[in-house]
Amino acid sequence: MSAQRTRAELVISLGVLMLGGFATYVAYQLPEAGGYARIGPNVIPKVVAGSLILLGIWLLAEYFSGGWRSPVPEDPAERGEHAFERRAFVWVSAGLAAQMLLIQQAGFVIAGTALFVLVARGFGSTRLLRDAAIGLALTLLVFLFFVKFLNVGLPPGWLRPLLGGAGL
Amino acid sequence: MSETLNALLTGFGVALTPINLLWGFVGVTLGTAVGVLPGVGPALTVAMLLPLTVKLDPTGALIMFAGIYYGAMYGGSTTTILLNTPGESASIATALEGNKMAKRGRAGPALATAAIGSFVAGTLATLLLTLLAPIIVEFALKFGPTEYFALMVFAFVTVAAVLGASTVRGLTMLFLGLLLGLVGIDEQTGQMRFAFGVPELLDGIDVVVLAVGLFAVGEALYVAAYQSRIREEVTPMSGSLMMSREDWRRSWPAWLRATGIGFPFGTIPAGGAEIPTFLSYALEKKLSKHPEEFGNGAIEGVAGPEAANNASSAGVLVPLLTLGIPTSATAAILLAAFQNYGIQPGPLLFQTQGALVWGLIASLYVGNVLLLVLNLPLIGLWVQVLKIPRPLLYAGILVFATLGAYSLHQSVVDLVTLYVFGLLGFMMRRWGFPVAPAVIGLILGPLAESQFRRALAISQGDPSVFFTHPISATLLAITAALVLVPWLVRVVREWRARAAA
Repeated sequence: MSAQRTRAELVISLGVLMLGGFATYVAYQLPEAGGYARIGPNVIPKVVAGSLILLGIWLLAEYFSGGWRSPVPEDPAERGEHAFERRAFVWVSAGLAAQMLLIQQAGFVIAGTALFVLVARGFGSTRLLRDAAIGLALTLLVFLFFVKFLNVGLPPGWLRPLLGGAGL
Repeated sequence: MSETLNALLTGFGVALTPINLLWGFVGVTLGTAVGVLPGVGPALTVAMLLPLTVKLDPTGALIMFAGIYYGAMYGGSTTTILLNTPGESASIATALEGNKMAKRGRAGPALATAAIGSFVAGTLATLLLTLLAPIIVEFALKFGPTEYFALMVFAFVTVAAVLGASTVRGLTMLFLGLLLGLVGIDEQTGQMRFAFGVPELLDGIDVVVLAVGLFAVGEALYVAAYQSRIREEVTPMSGSLMMSREDWRRSWPAWLRATGIGFPFGTIPAGGAEIPTFLSYALEKKLSKHPEEFGNGAIEGVAGPEAANNASSAGVLVPLLTLGIPTSATAAILLAAFQNYGIQPGPLLFQTQGALVWGLIASLYVGNVLLLVLNLPLIGLWVQVLKIPRPLLYAGILVFATLGAYSLHQSVVDLVTLYVFGLLGFMMRRWGFPVAPAVIGLILGPLAESQFRRALAISQGDPSVFFTHPISATLLAITAALVLVPWLVRVVREWRARAAA
């Protein structure tokens, strides 16, 4: 039979239901006017949003009748994996956050290197200098290729004096 | 027939120009590389490259993307055989036998039968695509918006509800994708929908951000959290790449049978290559004169599934090119690539853009030849690629992923959205929600809506057209049966079990 229900299943089921409810509310605010087409811009949104409500109810029904059907095993060993490694998750997230914060000011190369080093750290690398060197080389190459060769604008940031007129 | 031959010859004229050959070569090389690398697939790679399409000519770019698509299927087998971690989901069946062969010192023949089988099946299936496409085009030219809408509903439901572990989770992802597809300005009326006055949302949710977020960021978060402390060992290359007479004798019937299974499965919305590879594996096991070898490295168990997955990837191009219906996540992103150029795949494409579409098909033949060369004599190179340490690999993936998202509008908003989709992708993987329906919903949803509205405009608002047009009625009936029958069977079974208890 199906495995035991988990709190995550309840939270996600409710999340889908709430998303459907919210989308339905928004869809009902949309105007009716269909013009010549007769079918206005609100019809499909109502159908899609209403379906999400039904799917949320369906997920809840599975939860309350003993748990979701054919779930992913809760025990990581059964999936051939290890237990949730929070630090790894946080390092990778920190890398992405650092890039968001740095890219406009410090530029693509510095932000990308920070991302590279933090993600590598998350995956268990302890060789900070090697990672920084590889990250710098990679982002620099990508930057030059994009800006010089493809004419795609990327922010040079603090390295503008070094990269010369390569940037925007 | 001779028309098709002429069209194909014109196509070779396009595909064999030096610049397009170069794009094809770049595509198959990149494709093999991403097939080899765990954690990167063809869908992600094409999505990351989509922002570049503005800079490239459509024929060259699409030939490159098709090369990536074919190449990933070849490269995937190398990872599966030497690492026992399937490079992509369609290689899972190969993993059963391929890695066992490598562990017994027969990596060479395993890689050879995979590469040659991929070539044989890929080429035969491309030939079937060439022959079948004009017939479907002929038929599809009669389709109106009603038929197209029914066809899209059929594709949505099979991809979301019939495949995968759970109907409800598949459908949830489909409708999430459809909802995301609604965000932005409605094309027909100019009405703003689900944009909440945020300027970045007016253009809609870009498929690049969704696909890269789900596939790259979600994957990186997941692997970091649950797999990064696992040590993986690359089984060393062993054995000659030359297959023995015995290997050939056991491989070629498997290649042909697998082509027969893989191609038809690719053409129907059956979610890509997983099912045919497993079917081929089961069939080879059943027919083999050496069933005792299965589970310990039987060469048929590599030859069949590898050929089947290449045949089915060619099959997927049939509905994509002739009807504009993507049946896998990668196909949906290829469709987005066409749309970036304002080209809508479908029967009209064969008439209005004959050179482009036949050039693309011809490039598939060329690509298969290039791939055979890349994957046999140069196999040692790919083994090196496999040895890239995981921390550097995923750090690199995220540099390119964020680059793809950022270069869309040079906007940090896209990076934030990317991370949000990454978290969503993490949750989906952890709790078993499939990704393909979300991507297909986002891309095909707006097209389905416009077909729906056109159909009703023609019928003057009468919704019964969907049930009175024979083709549309048939498709919708099949769709309903596909969802309801398994559900009813289960409900009845559960009810009986309870009554018996």
